[in-house]
Amino acid sequence: MLLWANRIVNKGSVAPHHLLEIREGAGLDEAQAAFHKVAKMAHPDLHRASLNPEELEVVTSAYAKVAGAYQELRMMRMQTTKLPRTNLKPPTYAPVNKMPDAGMPSGDVKPGVPAGPASAMNSKAIVYYRKAEQALRRGDLRGAVLQIKMAIAADPMSGFLRSALSEVESEIAKGG
Amino acid sequence: MAVALGIDLGTTNSVAAIATPTGVEFILGPRGERVHPSVVAFPASGGVVVGQDAKRFRLTEPHHVIHSAKRFIGQNIRAPLVQLAMTGIRYKVVEGPNQQPIVVVRDRRMTMPEISSHVLLHLKRCAERQLGTQVKDAVITVPANFTDAQRQATKEAGRLAGLEVMRLINEPTSAALAYGFGKDKQQLIAVFDFGGGTFDVSILRLNGEVFEVLASDGDFFLGGDDLDRTLAEVLAAECNRVLRIDPRPHAALMMKLMMGAEAIKCHLSENDSAEGEIDGLDMPNGTTGKLPFSVTRKQFEDLVNGYVSRTIEVTRQVLTAAGLVPSQIADVLCVGGSTRIPLVRERLAELFRKEPNNQINPDEVVSQGAAIQAGSLTNTLVSSGMGARDAVATTGHTTLVGMGAQPGPGNTQPPPMAPPQGMLKRPILMDVNPATLAIQTAGGFTERLLDKNAPIPIEKIRVFTTARDNQTRVEIDCCRGENRKYAENEPLGTLLLENLAAQRRGELKIEVSFRVDSDGILHVRATDQASGAAQEAHLQVLGAPVAEEP
Repeated sequence: MLLWANRIVNKGSVAPHHLLEIREGAGLDEAQAAFHKVAKMAHPDLHRASLNPEELEVVTSAYAKVAGAYQELRMMRMQTTKLPRTNLKPPTYAPVNKMPDAGMPSGDVKPGVPAGPASAMNSKAIVYYRKAEQALRRGDLRGAVLQIKMAIAADPMSGFLRSALSEVESEIAKGG
Repeated sequence: MAVALGIDLGTTNSVAAIATPTGVEFILGPRGERVHPSVVAFPASGGVVVGQDAKRFRLTEPHHVIHSAKRFIGQNIRAPLVQLAMTGIRYKVVEGPNQQPIVVVRDRRMTMPEISSHVLLHLKRCAERQLGTQVKDAVITVPANFTDAQRQATKEAGRLAGLEVMRLINEPTSAALAYGFGKDKQQLIAVFDFGGGTFDVSILRLNGEVFEVLASDGDFFLGGDDLDRTLAEVLAAECNRVLRIDPRPHAALMMKLMMGAEAIKCHLSENDSAEGEIDGLDMPNGTTGKLPFSVTRKQFEDLVNGYVSRTIEVTRQVLTAAGLVPSQIADVLCVGGSTRIPLVRERLAELFRKEPNNQINPDEVVSQGAAIQAGSLTNTLVSSGMGARDAVATTGHTTLVGMGAQPGPGNTQPPPMAPPQGMLKRPILMDVNPATLAIQTAGGFTERLLDKNAPIPIEKIRVFTTARDNQTRVEIDCCRGENRKYAENEPLGTLLLENLAAQRRGELKIEVSFRVDSDGILHVRATDQASGAAQEAHLQVLGAPVAEEP
């Protein structure tokens, strides 16, 4: 178990399926089974009493890394299987949570495109993202969805793009 | 042998239990009660009174009785809903350092963790008297949607009470553990937790000893208290009409009406109508009045329908977040006193097309799960399906061995023996991150780092770089929430990386690890990639407990 933990910790940043030690393109069920196997072996709670603090830290790190990988795979699947997405409101306060900035079509677009997206995705994806922005300016929500999906295909790791997609999709759902 | 307590620290009531080889044993109060009101009184006669006894002072000294501290613990006092909650209390709360709420009773200033620590200390003392042994370790449950600051503050309360808080677990997860532990179930369940002050709903996949939370959400400011207040306002209007006195400015009078409302609510859970009168109302003009009332269940349901609809709406959202439809759920667990309201159960049955489980005790199941987890973490848990049997039986009260209503020195049980290693079968809880953690990027947008509903513990590493030549300081704004715009989310604080080596821009690479631990608390560590020097990055969370300046 400690060998496994050290192996995972030393892997650096690699694709999620490498951390879960499953084949590339494995389905959600496979990822889940792999993660449950890891949990049964290495959940930090199981070793709280038997390992010394340094060893426990290694196991916790490894487990936390694999959990991150599992979550990444899960998010990707959730997006590609096109679940009915409602716009989940945070449970936090914000009495009248005004809708996110999908109000873009109404023409209040700032001339300077924020530098944000550039750092949140790779160069290929940004091309599609810019097209999505143009579509939004035209008020073409569905066109924007298509372009954002292309961008996601180019950079599946970008959380920025995924949240952009769900935002536009929820706007469509509302009949915007 | 260590005894570890499982504690359900509730808004209105708290319950503590321990796992023994024969089942889960509850910690009883001085009068043999299992449910301990989370009420702390500082009576004029001096001292601190906790629990059932403290409730008595609510009428005589409403300004010195602290209740519902859970609604304020770890909160930023300036948050709008906290301000709203402050209108519902009769004691004084002021703003302290770091925007944390401070209770003022006469000339004493106390933080919310201090108040809660009195409740925990009371439970610890009851346990020690009952078990005849020292109690040091505890697992405390918190609402699934508790924030980082609220979790930290709860741990702080435990520390102040002299408890080593081994773990904070989410209340719905704890209930699921009590329901499924030792039964080798393979199913999807929903836990609907509607308590005195909070509302949570979680969807779990049970896979033998693995309890995986798939999604969880809730409403932190929604509970039985709100239903009581709604009804009390109707009673107040009635009071104004019949007795020609507006009770709202009078703390003691309103408190009496709140207590009346609570009793009417409970009565209506079992009867179609409630009629009678609230007597002993001390009027401002010195007389004592009584207020007749007559409320039907239908009237009450119309009154609280909005609140109940909100809980059902959140339940739908959580199902969607888990990628499931209602028919896939095999069992619906009802937790918390407010689930006794027939309307709540009807609406749940309507949503899931099946009756919610009525085998569990909604007040006790959370503490039972916490006791099982506490036993597991201290290696004192036996495999033979213990706890589970007891936890699901409504009449399970009888299985408690040797614990009468009068615990005393002669009535103590030997602490549970450690079973041989081979017999151990321990639950594996895979709980989830309560809210998305994101950082601000250029242009006021956010980048998500750790998703809501991701399994914890979880870690994500990001590499940051400098934007100017000779920059020795990097600031990273962190927030919580799902919105893409930073300003629309709840700010967590600013992460400061200081004393960086002066280099050309972009040359310095700083690796920052964001980890949410098993308690749901965020830890941030920064490492300079070139030198390998680690520095503990400090993220000051607003509203988190900090020492008050003397």
